[in-house]
Amino acid sequence: MNKMGRIEKFFTYLILTGLGVLLAAPFMYMISMSLASDATSAKLTFTFIPGEFHFENFVRVFTSNLNFGRFLINSLILVFFSMAGQVLVSSLVAYAFARLRAPGKEIIFIILLSTMMIPTEVTLIPQFVLFTKLDWINTLLPLIVPNFFGGAYNIFLLRQFITRIPVELDEAAQIDGLNFFGIYVYIILPLIRPALVAVAIFTFVWNWGAFFGPLIYVNDVSKMPLALGVQILSATNSAGQVPPWNLVMVGALVLTVPMILVYFFGQRFMDQLSLSGGSAGIK
Amino acid sequence: MKKKEALWFYMLVFPWVFGFIVLTLGPMLYSFFLSLTNWDLFTPPQFIGWDNYARLFTEDKIFWKTVFNTLYYAFISVPLGMLFSLFITYFLNRPIKGSAIYRTLYYIPATVPGVASALLFKWLLAPDAGMINRFLAIFGMDGPAWLLEPDWVKPALILMSLWTVGANITLLMAGMKSIPTEFYEAAELDGASPIAQYYQITLPLLTPVIFFNLINGLIGALQVFTQIYIMTGTGGANMGGPNNASMMIVPYLFNNGFRFYKMGYASAIAWILFVLVMVLTLLVFRSSSAWVYYESEVRKS
Repeated sequence: MNKMGRIEKFFTYLILTGLGVLLAAPFMYMISMSLASDATSAKLTFTFIPGEFHFENFVRVFTSNLNFGRFLINSLILVFFSMAGQVLVSSLVAYAFARLRAPGKEIIFIILLSTMMIPTEVTLIPQFVLFTKLDWINTLLPLIVPNFFGGAYNIFLLRQFITRIPVELDEAAQIDGLNFFGIYVYIILPLIRPALVAVAIFTFVWNWGAFFGPLIYVNDVSKMPLALGVQILSATNSAGQVPPWNLVMVGALVLTVPMILVYFFGQRFMDQLSLSGGSAGIK
Repeated sequence: MKKKEALWFYMLVFPWVFGFIVLTLGPMLYSFFLSLTNWDLFTPPQFIGWDNYARLFTEDKIFWKTVFNTLYYAFISVPLGMLFSLFITYFLNRPIKGSAIYRTLYYIPATVPGVASALLFKWLLAPDAGMINRFLAIFGMDGPAWLLEPDWVKPALILMSLWTVGANITLLMAGMKSIPTEFYEAAELDGASPIAQYYQITLPLLTPVIFFNLINGLIGALQVFTQIYIMTGTGGANMGGPNNASMMIVPYLFNNGFRFYKMGYASAIAWILFVLVMVLTLLVFRSSSAWVYYESEVRKS
């Protein structure tokens, strides 16, 4: 691409750095607040550059009676089972759509695609009634179990990947005596591993920070995932009371760091995905 | 053999079909039925016909306000975020050093979960002690009370939405990477300036990505909830304030359903939201033939 003049170069770096600092500032502030003392937190005299380094805040949230350890375990349970459900079931359904012939398949697939446009609010209240009837309120089940029915977006994505695998592989395996389930396990799954990682990442991102579902289904503090727990910590009983902002920001950071890690870890797989998957890899 | 294959198909798709019937189709039909009833969750639903809809459209002034607020938020924050990310990607795509560092810098805010960013911005937007007003004070400006003022609460939420443009930027950069360099080489031979190249080559070829972002952004913005719940109330109580200036459709639905137990009324709101999302998505789709450019497409005349 073309070379830049000196003035142009100067302005390009100036704008990129200026906006970068502006966008990074709130995040820097989050770190600074999380390291502040209780006194600073109560007086609201935070500084942009950390003036104090109370790293013990990060220990305190786990050792005091704030339930942080519990929140974290709940979040990990939620995310782990959701990922397992989505990866296993979505890939199985995707394989059927990509490879097996059956009457009515096209119609089912069109219905699957159209469900992606339905906002969750339309099904919210009946689902709430259903999960209440099943006595699943105050458990993580309403948040986990739906993942074991597969997700339309994930199924669509995985189907696109499976259709790129040469059918001759299936046929060869069939001649070797594998049934359709065997083909899925021994031929398809190993070849779509990057796409499975992508599905796992999407599911992680989607469930780790989820707020609306936990808010509706989990009232018992000891059952709450982290995102909801941190919010509870920030909510004060009376209007004049100041929340412990330093500890709230510790919570916000504990909630954020795994997302950043997943992003860096996942980028490698995403690159692989967009190279091999064409436009279906964009998301 | 064919019969066996079909049997396998039905067996393998069964989990999704079962989930679809139990968690999507059934609930949709049931919620439509509920929207025609008066129901407090504890006594049997009373059938009242279209009364809930009639009340929402003719009597409920707060509902109209929530629709207005939601459209205001979506129609400003989504295009503004798009312009902002296009602006940044123009510079990011210049031959610069350290572009990976810049991209990371811009992307990190997009990884921050909604709850965390809402808590952070609730503080950043605080009237006197908040970072944003203290920043403005450096330039002698007296910032508004943002979340506490009816005129400023929506601009504050829009401002906050700009913080997460990193996701857009990543997609736009990926789109830019797939543009063949020959186009630029040819343009350069013709003496086109970088800005002309951007308008004539980059932007038209990015329209499919912009379109995708627009649809996704719009659907997301119409369903905004977490920020409203956390930032405009104290622990979810009296959210949507001040004076309902930031009350949006989903928070209003939540209040009716899960605070006042007006399940029928809340279902009617959900269906109106559903129709609104569908209509707006369809309109953007319809408009796409006029401005989205697909390289390999044979246009229908």
